[in-house]
Amino acid sequence: MKTKRQIQKEATRKLILDTAYRVYAEEGFSATTNQIAKAANVSHGTIFVHFPTVENLLICLLERFGSEINKHLHLLSEKDESLETFLAAHIDVLIRYEDFYKKLISDINSLPQDAKFVFINIQSVVSLHLSQVIEREKEKKEIKEIPMHIIFNSWLGLIHYYLTNSYLFSAESVLTEHKDELILNYIKLLENERN
Amino acid sequence: MKTCIACGMPMKKESDFAMGDTSKEYCIYCAKEDGSMQSFEEKKQSLLNFTIKTQGLDKAIAEKAVENMMRQLPAWKGFF
Ligand SMILES: [Zn+2]
Repeated sequence: MKTKRQIQKEATRKLILDTAYRVYAEEGFSATTNQIAKAANVSHGTIFVHFPTVENLLICLLERFGSEINKHLHLLSEKDESLETFLAAHIDVLIRYEDFYKKLISDINSLPQDAKFVFINIQSVVSLHLSQVIEREKEKKEIKEIPMHIIFNSWLGLIHYYLTNSYLFSAESVLTEHKDELILNYIKLLENERN
Repeated sequence: MKTCIACGMPMKKESDFAMGDTSKEYCIYCAKEDGSMQSFEEKKQSLLNFTIKTQGLDKAIAEKAVENMMRQLPAWKGFF
């Protein structure tokens, strides 16, 4: 059984991660640990009791975020899901974390190398599901002969473009507003015209 | 929910598990044909090929990303 102290420790750790998530989602990844401590209502030193470095805090946060995405995508994915269902599931997951994800893709180039690796691995989960769906789809429909990485990168490129330039497309949630349009037309780009 | 010790994939349905056996700690993608778990080198190679094929990454980058991911997984703790 966990001692009272362990429970308390885990709760504080979770509070710091939850708060860091919120602060980064609002301020971007240049936000400082001071800001996070203040928002979490803990002393600055408390953060470093739980996370030895800022980088470590960031990695833990991204890993937690990645495993959330992983879980959601997996739960949403069914054995016989269509391309459309999968793309909708991907967008739905991102909508839940839209502000955070938007900041993440805008700031990724300035993040430490290890954070970039976590980011790559978050995308690997998406590319795994997508490539499985595409393989299945090829049995049913005519999908153009395009290398898998171009299929994946085009999808990611499309939604990342809408996200990072959301001011062009929406005052609210750009993914919510453009979800159907993006999915429908992306699929059109992949499918061969039927005669 | 269990997650695969060798690749981190969540395992929910029977079909997610190696040989459909829910007592297994690794998933269908990490199993060899005879049902045993892939070796470190086999898994690394397959993750590497997969990452390059589906994301188009530079080989050196992909290699580091894969190692970084495997380092976190219980099955490969002894390899780093
Ligand atoms: Zn696995």
